[in-house]
Amino acid sequence: MEERIKRIYIPMTETGFYILYCLQQSQHGYGISQQVKDLTAGEVIISPGTMYGTLSKMERDGLISFIREEEKRKLYCMTELGRQILDIEIKRIERLYKNTHPGKL
Amino acid sequence: MTEERKTEIKIFTIADYEEEEIWLREQHKQGWKLVNTVLPVFYHFVKCEPEDVVYRLDYKNSKEDSAYMQMFQDYGWEYFNECMGWLYFRKPAADMDSDMEGEIFSDDESRIELLNQVIKTRLLPLLTIFFLCLLPQCVNITARFTDSGLSFVLFIIFSVLLLLYLWLFIHCGRKMTNLRRKYKK
Repeated sequence: MEERIKRIYIPMTETGFYILYCLQQSQHGYGISQQVKDLTAGEVIISPGTMYGTLSKMERDGLISFIREEEKRKLYCMTELGRQILDIEIKRIERLYKNTHPGKL
Repeated sequence: MTEERKTEIKIFTIADYEEEEIWLREQHKQGWKLVNTVLPVFYHFVKCEPEDVVYRLDYKNSKEDSAYMQMFQDYGWEYFNECMGWLYFRKPAADMDSDMEGEIFSDDESRIELLNQVIKTRLLPLLTIFFLCLLPQCVNITARFTDSGLSFVLFIIFSVLLLLYLWLFIHCGRKMTNLRRKYKK
């Protein structure tokens, strides 16, 4: 089961990656989008429909879990499976970087 | 002072939501703000200050919770109408720092997801009704066409329905194929 989920999610889209990355701490959808905007100097914008759909899908697949509701906003946090997937993805991106920037890192 | 109102009759099929968004934006630019829709045919407007306001439609087959509405509100979208699964949002263009803020979907995957939802919950049921009810009835009545005057009237009614359905399928099929192609680019 988990292997199948990993196959689906890896490699991740930029949207998926940043959402998961931000959910290392509990956060709600709009909060994530603001954080991603800051992290990427406004270059990665995640719209509400996409944010909502991605969060629902990740929750269903067990990458993140619903923590609680705060003023009608759903707070989510990464699960252990989410952590594993993020780690695999970070290693993959580091390898890409190393291979394209010899001598660095 | 009573507000000036108007009702427009306009037909947008389940494959025309992008055209509908553009049309509603144009109406608002001309000083007509959409209040609500009755069936996807009657559009009730109220007179307002002309303004550039972006309209967006999302489609949800199931009832969405308050967290969904709250998220759109956080992003600056005003939710104001629901019509047969279509949710209507709008946001003034002046409130946007970039064009991306005028979108409710930021990747093609979610645009295709919407299209798939519409096909699965709207187009497929229509096709089922067509092939299981309308088409057999039509064949049935055509077979008895010579019997009486009444079946002739029925024959005409069914033929018109049949043609309408066929037009709808061809139109939606063609439009949805084009949308999918556009999103896959």
